Amino acid sequence: MDSSTTSQANPAGASAPEGAGQMSIRTRDVDLFYGDFQALFGVSVDIKPNIITSLIGPSGCGKTTLLRSFNRINERYGNVTTRGTIEILGKNIYDADVSLPELRKSVGMVFQRPNPLPISIYENIIFGLRSHTPKPELGRRGDLDDIVESALREVQLWEVTKNRLKDRATTLTLEQQQKLCIARLLPLKPQVILMDEPCSALDADGIERVEELISELRERFTIVMVTHNMGQAKRASDECIYMYLGKIIEHAPTAELFLNPREEQTAMYIEGRYG
Amino acid sequence: MSNDSTHILGNFQKALDDLQADLSRMASLVEKNFDSALRGLVGRDNNACAEVIADDEEIDQLEKKIDQDGLRIIMLYQPVASDLRTVVSAMKVSSNLERVADQAVGIAKRARKMNKNPEIPEARLIEPLHETAAKLLRRAMDAFRKGDVDAAVDVKRADDELDKAYKELAKNLTRRMEGDPGRIKDYLDLQFIARFLERVGDHAKNICEDAVFAEAAVDIRHGGELPSDS
Repeated sequence: MDSSTTSQANPAGASAPEGAGQMSIRTRDVDLFYGDFQALFGVSVDIKPNIITSLIGPSGCGKTTLLRSFNRINERYGNVTTRGTIEILGKNIYDADVSLPELRKSVGMVFQRPNPLPISIYENIIFGLRSHTPKPELGRRGDLDDIVESALREVQLWEVTKNRLKDRATTLTLEQQQKLCIARLLPLKPQVILMDEPCSALDADGIERVEELISELRERFTIVMVTHNMGQAKRASDECIYMYLGKIIEHAPTAELFLNPREEQTAMYIEGRYG
Repeated sequence: MSNDSTHILGNFQKALDDLQADLSRMASLVEKNFDSALRGLVGRDNNACAEVIADDEEIDQLEKKIDQDGLRIIMLYQPVASDLRTVVSAMKVSSNLERVADQAVGIAKRARKMNKNPEIPEARLIEPLHETAAKLLRRAMDAFRKGDVDAAVDVKRADDELDKAYKELAKNLTRRMEGDPGRIKDYLDLQFIARFLERVGDHAKNICEDAVFAEAAVDIRHGGELPSDS
């Protein structure tokens, strides 16, 4: 696994424009509409590599929409219009030459509820690789075994699954399933991992262990996470972005945002105030 | 300390309000004791001295209560931003107020001792120093309550005047001590009392630093400065 996200080729294999800087994700003036409804308003944000950035804000503020626009998964809903630019490692992902499968390989996603495929643990890990790689290039069985072991080790699942790789992934606990969902992204060597409330379906122990895992992964990936849980945003992220009504209100290092928010709206939200 | 909006959680708001009310009550008691201690000395009023010593217990208990309630708020509500700064600062201010009350007790105990001897006219020299210290304390608490950063910074600077006045008084008392060695014990008590007053100024200064942190999230202790645009 290449450990330097900034030195990797950008998604879709196209070359990065000059002077794109060191940001993993850079958006400029992004407006997003679902039909007539405008969900994002002029969003401009720079997300640094190798840290965890949390998107926080009340329900309906656009944080999941913004997250999903980073790999254009919003477009699956149809009737979505996006204006502005979103660059991942310097490449505008809305350029005509961008390939969606390549983009989604580079920008992996983990969802609220673990969603392993109803196939074996082993096949779950290599499913993405099989989908994205022509059969002759896929490698021999031994290579695939190594890939599976490496991915499971990275998410601390190897010891509990090594003797049951043929078992259905759905027989794992929820925490293990969520870790598996993270593990199955890794063989594709993503640069960015998007997480949409990755711990909301887990119990306290599961949350703690998945947060630990996310924290370890930050050294090699850019992680952007949506969370409703203020405690999790404080504990698990390096920077936080507060959104309200489709706009970015404040983006700051987590400790700064929770100790001394610059914007009154942020303070009202994180302190739980009204009036 | 100056947030006008209300919390979604009523209990959290009430806990914060109660904490601030306790701190205000503690400050009133401390200011009262500090004034009574001077009355005990200059007015040679032993009842006032006894009152200061007795009332210190209530102030000690309030300090403990504010600490316990502050910890409870942190544990139950995990405050952030201005709420967190308010709770932490309130706990630190209460500790400074308790120390001021201790200085008042120190003055009262020395005054009670001195009141057994014939009156010493130099006791009146303490009055201006006390007045300056009391004013600093009142202004510091006012700045904290109102979240007035400018006022807090002014009071912090004004402590230098108290320090200067203390040094002059200490020199003056030393000179007089040399001229009247028979009353050396009384002069020494006055020296200690002057020192207690100088320390009250230091506590007022600490409270101002907490006021600035609570309001502006800037640590101005030990040479720290406000950003130029504050």
